Amino acid sequence: MPLVYFKNVSKAYNGSLILDNVTFEVKSGEFVSLVGRSGAGKTTILKMLIKEEPTTKGRIFFNDKDINKFKPGEVTFLRRKIGMVFQDFRLLANRTAYENVAFAMEVAGYSEQAIKKDAPELLKLVNLEEKANNFPHQLSAGEKQKVVICRVLAQRPEIILADEPTGDLDPINTWEIIKLLMKINELGTAIILATHDKEVINTLGQRVISLDKGKIIRDEEEGKYLI
Amino acid sequence: MLTLIKRVFRTAWQGLVRNNWLSFTCIAMLTISLIILSSIFIFNNTSNNLINILKEKMDISIYFKRDVPEEDILRIRDDLIGSEKIAKIEYISQDEALKIFEEKSSRNPAIKRALEELGENPLAASLNIKAKDTKYYTEIIDEIDNSVFKEKLITVDLMENQRVIERINSLSVGIKLGSILVILIAAFLSLLISLNTIRMAIYSLKGEIEIMKLVGASNWFIRGPFLLEGALQGIIASFVAILILIPLIMWGSPRVESFIAEISMSLYFWSHFWYILLYQTLFGIFLGIVSSFWAMNKYLKV
Repeated sequence: MPLVYFKNVSKAYNGSLILDNVTFEVKSGEFVSLVGRSGAGKTTILKMLIKEEPTTKGRIFFNDKDINKFKPGEVTFLRRKIGMVFQDFRLLANRTAYENVAFAMEVAGYSEQAIKKDAPELLKLVNLEEKANNFPHQLSAGEKQKVVICRVLAQRPEIILADEPTGDLDPINTWEIIKLLMKINELGTAIILATHDKEVINTLGQRVISLDKGKIIRDEEEGKYLI
Repeated sequence: MLTLIKRVFRTAWQGLVRNNWLSFTCIAMLTISLIILSSIFIFNNTSNNLINILKEKMDISIYFKRDVPEEDILRIRDDLIGSEKIAKIEYISQDEALKIFEEKSSRNPAIKRALEELGENPLAASLNIKAKDTKYYTEIIDEIDNSVFKEKLITVDLMENQRVIERINSLSVGIKLGSILVILIAAFLSLLISLNTIRMAIYSLKGEIEIMKLVGASNWFIRGPFLLEGALQGIIASFVAILILIPLIMWGSPRVESFIAEISMSLYFWSHFWYILLYQTLFGIFLGIVSSFWAMNKYLKV
């Protein structure tokens, strides 16, 4: 049983087709990169998977359940199982790094004791324990992205969707984040990485799904960036 | 549950303190709304009190010719008391009338001398009638005018009384309707002011709300602290408003009293202080919660 299954999914905005009959699946613990030019439909796929965008046609399954049929309450549970990492970080601006991580744990229903124990541990994992009380505006771009990853990990998701997570980072931070994602993947969490960073893709040596104008043009194990 | 309550309070307090400028703006606007509403409320209630005072003072006095025996007057009184429109009738004999008159004019030696020279009691016995409601006075006057004992009465200017009574009645209804209308308009304006201010404040936090939704927070998980923050703003605004109202009333009350002596806003304010503070706080909380609830709803649809 695949963890994620897109079955003939199409998406149209104002009559123009963004995704055209896309079918693919992602297994548990897999690392998949979505590559393609801007507007190819990478972000739309990720948004549809967390039900931020509805499908126009086709069905999306998560753990064999059709998410199109999810009620609002079920969507919140779905989002707790799917961690999102964004290019623009999307941290809560008025909360410290620790509070951002703690928030995700509160949402997931962890006790206060567990939060007090685990949140600092997670920040320590990415060497940010000394910046736990810093607000997002007091952190560098790389540090912000690390806090986002901690927030995602705090919910112990089954899959992480990373939408251009290194888009705003310098090369050193880019590799730190990619290494972190790979480490998380090695521990069993599936990852879908949407990027147009050729160097990252070619170094990863993982499965690559290439998109062009909303269609899957290539799906290869140990693929390369060939667009 | 306790953890949840603690979380909601902690997050609401953090929001209030960390978004200090937004909180300040919201509290300021809520304070203005509450001051407007409370000032109108206090003024309207004191005006209504004036009408009640006037109504309390109202009565009809019918004066009997001097040759009408006391038992006849008492019989008329007993007949009238049976009317469902009449609340109370007081009989004032000639002697009592003289006593009252003497007491009232005790500082005027000329009147005292005149009475002594007259040698007899010139005053008439009377019945003092209080109606159950001011609207009955004209009807009671009509009934007296058409009664069999009318010839036993000294002529009184019934029309003049009638006009005063009608004027007070229409004034009373007008003030009551006007008060309700003005209070409703003020409440609506208060709601509009606070709604738009809090809407702007929450608009600036819409990104945060969207992030919370994407992290998997339920609508009520997000709403809770925002609603409590709105309520806290309402409570703070209520206390600030009362602190501003105190000097405002102390300054304004003597000025209003110089025009209408019976309207004492400060007297009303102090005798109803806790009541005003309570209603104001409840309305502040209501404004804060309703505005926050309404303002954030559309950002929860992510």
